[in-house]
Amino acid sequence: MSVQAPERAQDPASQTTPATAAKPNRLRTPRRPGQLGWLASTPAIIIGLLFTVGPLIIIVLFSFMSRPPQGGGVVYDFTLDPYIGFLFQSDFVGNTTFDPRYLQVFGDSLWQALVTTVICLLLSFPLALWMATRSTKLQNFLVLIVTIPFWTNLLVRTYAWMLILNDNGIINNASSALGFGKMELLYTPFASQLGLIYTFLPFMVLPIYASLAGFDFRLAEAAYDLGARKWAVIRRIILPIATPGIISGVLLVFMPAFGSYVQPVLLGGGKVLLIGNLIASQFGDARNWPFGAALSVIILVMLMIALMAIAFYSRKSGRKVEISL
Amino acid sequence: MTYTDATKPVNAVSRRDRKPSRALRLRDFPGVGPISIFALIFLYVPIIITTIYAFNDGSSALVWKGFSFRWFGEVAQNANLMSSVWVSLQIAIVATVVATVFSILFALSVERLRRQGSAIATAILTAPLVIPEIVLAVATLGFIRMIGLQPGMFALILAHTSFCIPFALMPIRARLKGLGNTYFEAATDLGATNLQVFRRITLPLLVPGIISGAILAFVISLDDFIISNFLSAAGATPLPVFLFSLIRRGASPAVNVVATMLLVLAIVVTTITFLQSQRRSNKHA
Repeated sequence: MSVQAPERAQDPASQTTPATAAKPNRLRTPRRPGQLGWLASTPAIIIGLLFTVGPLIIIVLFSFMSRPPQGGGVVYDFTLDPYIGFLFQSDFVGNTTFDPRYLQVFGDSLWQALVTTVICLLLSFPLALWMATRSTKLQNFLVLIVTIPFWTNLLVRTYAWMLILNDNGIINNASSALGFGKMELLYTPFASQLGLIYTFLPFMVLPIYASLAGFDFRLAEAAYDLGARKWAVIRRIILPIATPGIISGVLLVFMPAFGSYVQPVLLGGGKVLLIGNLIASQFGDARNWPFGAALSVIILVMLMIALMAIAFYSRKSGRKVEISL
Repeated sequence: MTYTDATKPVNAVSRRDRKPSRALRLRDFPGVGPISIFALIFLYVPIIITTIYAFNDGSSALVWKGFSFRWFGEVAQNANLMSSVWVSLQIAIVATVVATVFSILFALSVERLRRQGSAIATAILTAPLVIPEIVLAVATLGFIRMIGLQPGMFALILAHTSFCIPFALMPIRARLKGLGNTYFEAATDLGATNLQVFRRITLPLLVPGIISGAILAFVISLDDFIISNFLSAAGATPLPVFLFSLIRRGASPAVNVVATMLLVLAIVVTTITFLQSQRRSNKHA
């Protein structure tokens, strides 16, 4: 997905197309040789409309509907209860009192996502810079090395930490052998946090590396020759080049971490309740679909705000932020 | 011959001049090297440990009893597990084929939509990359209930096709962009009709992108847990959903074996796509 400032002129390539485009069509770019008619793009768009846009519309609608008495599904009866329920609790008499339980979940999710993003960034920027300054051959190899964990099954990557952190795992065995005794590591917020950092690290490395990979580091060299210090070179030359990659990486780490489900369940045990598992439980055991839908809408609104901020940045700075992997 | 001989020494000198200083100056920026090494170790230690435990002889997933292939055999004989592998393969194959074909069609025609339309269409198709999966999962569950479908094979295939499209599309579009216009224009100038250009120029040149795209889509489908978890039904349990229930039931060593097999799959797939892209860039150079 790319968020970019609208281009004013049509791209020059389309203006120099040969005779096939004899009939000028102001609305559509003329057909270039080898291209297909616009109709060919419809099957993919229909799938996207049906299974991405459709569900998103439904979830927004669901969030304004009532819960059937026995739970599960929705009743078509407009109400704001799901949103009110996020902040307030009403008892049987009808008194409404402020209820911080869900706000707490929201805050915990925000905090874990934030910590994940910051630590991933602190690890990824040096790693991406280091990768980009290697020889071409080594760079290709390093990209491969970073991509393998990326393509490894999410459950496998999370489960790996269960093996390491459990009571008989490597860390606890080592620590008891050294006489420190066993620590409770698995099923803690720490474990969930660690799992999130581990899972999303490649999502941060790859976009930052992509923004640095094409950079001609002789420019940094020139800055040194002109007397710049290392910190100035990083701050004034390399960081601006890496910014689009950093923004893309932050979005690709923060949003999935904020809505994470697998890591808090498997590594956090029952002790970590994040918004992702709260949503899952509303559609599962709790059988309160409208509330689960309202929580999903809250995540979607945050995503929209983030995307708009990125679009604003890219319009202001003129840099294209490519949100892809 | 004389040409290369004449340029060689110049190149060699300039390269020798440039390389050490550039590497040294950036490498000795405090922390960059050590942090990088640490990050790489951090990425690999858990994976390696899981692989080692797959060869554990004991009947607990967590206590090391000695080396053996025992659990590989037990996994192969676990009928439920094997049937979930089969379910996953069926979904992945259908979703990959459909997503790849649709992506090829889309990549070749999206520019012919109106400018706004093409931006919106691209945004719709790539949205699954940024939307937290749990949201898409519950939304899809609500949606298929709404249109009168039940969770199961059909719903799984449709949802998988949808989130596989962005992954199939990325390498295909990148490849198309890298090709430029010259091949197609040359073919047209030589009198090829549009269909001929498509069949004999566009498709063959796109093959590396198509292969990478299809492989990515296949792995993404095979690996998906969260969406599959909400759309699975009895008899239609994909492997990751089955694996999750195994892990939650208290890890059996079978989990280590399945995890290792999925890991090997990731390594094979990434290496194949990597070699593909290497060959691609060599050809272009």
